[in-house]
Amino acid sequence: MRSLRLTAALLAGMTAPALAADKPSGTITVWGWNIAAEALEHIVPAFNAEHPGVTVKVVNMGHSDLHDRVAADCAAGGTDMPDVTIVENQEAGLLWNRFPACFADMKPLGYDAYANKFPAFKQLDLQADGKVFAMPWDSGPVTVFYRRDLYKQAGIDPQAIATWDDFIAAGKKLSAATGGKVKMATIYKGTDDEWFRMLAVQNGCYYFSDDGRSITVARPGCAKALAKVKDVWDAGILNVGGWDEQIQFDKTGAAASQLYGGWYEGTIRSNDADQSGRWGVYPMPAFEAGGRRASNIGGSSLAIAATANKPAAWAFVSYALGTDAGQISMMKYRGLVPALLSAVDDPYVKQDQPFWGGQKVWADMLETLPRIVPYNATPYFTDARGVMKVVVNDYLDGRYKTADEALRVAADQIAGASGLPVAP
Amino acid sequence: MRRSAVAYGFLFPYLAVFAAFWAWPIVQSIVYSLQNTRGAVPVFSPSANWGRLAGDPVFLRALGHTLAFLVLQVPAMLALAIGLAVALNAPALRARALFRFAFFAPIVVGEVAYSTVFRLLFNGQYGAVNKALAALGIAGPDWLNEPVSAFAVLVIAVTWRWTGYNAIIVLAGLQGIPRELYEAAEVDGVPRWLQFWRITLPLLLPVVAVAAVLSIIGSLQLFVEPQLITRSGPGGATETLGTYLYQQGFRAFNFGYAAAIGYAAAMLALVVSLAQVSLFRSRT
Repeated sequence: MRSLRLTAALLAGMTAPALAADKPSGTITVWGWNIAAEALEHIVPAFNAEHPGVTVKVVNMGHSDLHDRVAADCAAGGTDMPDVTIVENQEAGLLWNRFPACFADMKPLGYDAYANKFPAFKQLDLQADGKVFAMPWDSGPVTVFYRRDLYKQAGIDPQAIATWDDFIAAGKKLSAATGGKVKMATIYKGTDDEWFRMLAVQNGCYYFSDDGRSITVARPGCAKALAKVKDVWDAGILNVGGWDEQIQFDKTGAAASQLYGGWYEGTIRSNDADQSGRWGVYPMPAFEAGGRRASNIGGSSLAIAATANKPAAWAFVSYALGTDAGQISMMKYRGLVPALLSAVDDPYVKQDQPFWGGQKVWADMLETLPRIVPYNATPYFTDARGVMKVVVNDYLDGRYKTADEALRVAADQIAGASGLPVAP
Repeated sequence: MRRSAVAYGFLFPYLAVFAAFWAWPIVQSIVYSLQNTRGAVPVFSPSANWGRLAGDPVFLRALGHTLAFLVLQVPAMLALAIGLAVALNAPALRARALFRFAFFAPIVVGEVAYSTVFRLLFNGQYGAVNKALAALGIAGPDWLNEPVSAFAVLVIAVTWRWTGYNAIIVLAGLQGIPRELYEAAEVDGVPRWLQFWRITLPLLLPVVAVAAVLSIIGSLQLFVEPQLITRSGPGGATETLGTYLYQQGFRAFNFGYAAAIGYAAAMLALVVSLAQVSLFRSRT
């Protein structure tokens, strides 16, 4: 097996120059959603300067629409698939597992030359059975976005918030200063479990083991994360809402900060343009002083369909995601946080951002990427999230005595849904 | 023989569509429900889905919510619809056509549009409902984030949308009751409420039965409102068979399990409808 892979790698290496010799050409269709599609559209002229023979057609559709269409096209044997499509990391394992024949393996196209350019945590979900089905795009390094003016009014120094307990203390100070009207952050209580996932990954724990073969959600790292979410919740310093409400809280000043993935930068910047200069970021608090202050939530990648015009599709994907020019251009335009490690050295990343009160927010967020612990969303992410949103909600409401007990119940339910064993 | 061939010729376009878009999916989904559809290749394994169904706490909760909705919302809505129909049928009512349209109008509004508006109305912090309650000195609940109130919002929303529709059905039934019966009752000196009880209600039963069956099937399929207004939350408190089916089929791509959930709901609809029809038949 090993020698076979070696031969394949050698062959790939030998054919690579030949491929480079005939320039890719033809028309490719690329599917993306919202700001991601806009960002891809934005870089087409620069891509065409290098590859004039390729015509790129970007189609922008809603997140759910795209998900449903890819599922339908793949279920129909790849009919009507675009050449390139965006795939959310957490939904990736599901696609590879259910429709492996629908996507092209990127290794023969030359992926190996890019493998070291992305952090490990971004690649785990995108590979299965020794194949690489997608290239990482943006990531969601978890950070705290905060309102400088509101923190100042309450006498909170963001630089002094090093641990979650500091965060809670700051929240209480904020409550006291505002009569409980302004909260520290927003939790999607009962509709999602993102707070739990952000803190679990920070703590090196996740729903599943890295090999995706067992359920690890009942491990101590996760229990500690869940218990900490409850500490924050019990302090009464969180707003409850969903995505739309969270944006309202930002607009109306009902939230002085938000804990979220780096890609939330673009949402704040575009929705609250009138608050320019009043926002800033600081690293997510640690579990204990000196502990890890890095985690990830969300993020996407680009996959190539099995039926695609592969040379042209690969040329586009490797330009868009595998070069600093492509990634930085999309970050500038729509705030997508590059997963490409070398992007951190780009001059733009080191620039002061006027909206963020002159802070170098990109450098601050990107420097956490190497410290993010890898995790594997597996094909059963959706099932696990469905279980966890209920269990986390019930635990916060006091329906379980301990986090450990809650997570054991969750692990059994995830086992029932996925058929995977619960890790000891 | 030739005549029937011609008849089938005319029927063919319909039969072809029926076979392709109705019969085939119905049969195919039975097949799916018997397969483990989690991998690239479906594997025959009846216990994968049907076995999971019986022990799946999320399915049982969704079933419980659906049944609770059926038991609480359908009778309340039908009682309201009957009252509304009687009012709309009152000879003294002016601008009758306007009122009839007004109560029927909610059904004209798109499901997604009205769901979005309800989500905004019942927003705990900024919603119009709580602002109105506050003006009356009542502190409204955080509607969408408490299990009981979130469920109540669904009941209110569906009732708002469908009561007028059912009232129109009942109204048609009311107008089919011969006037002579009431005239005879008047002559015999039967009071109004007794006329309603002894004449109107019994003669309305077949129409109410139809409205009830339609409403019950509607509640078993309840999807748009819990999906869009409450997002099946908080903590799955408004998960219904419809939202769970969608979640399994189109989010988790587990078509086999989704098909099994769909068939469970269909069987339930069949049982409830049969019970209902036989109940009304024995009474009339």
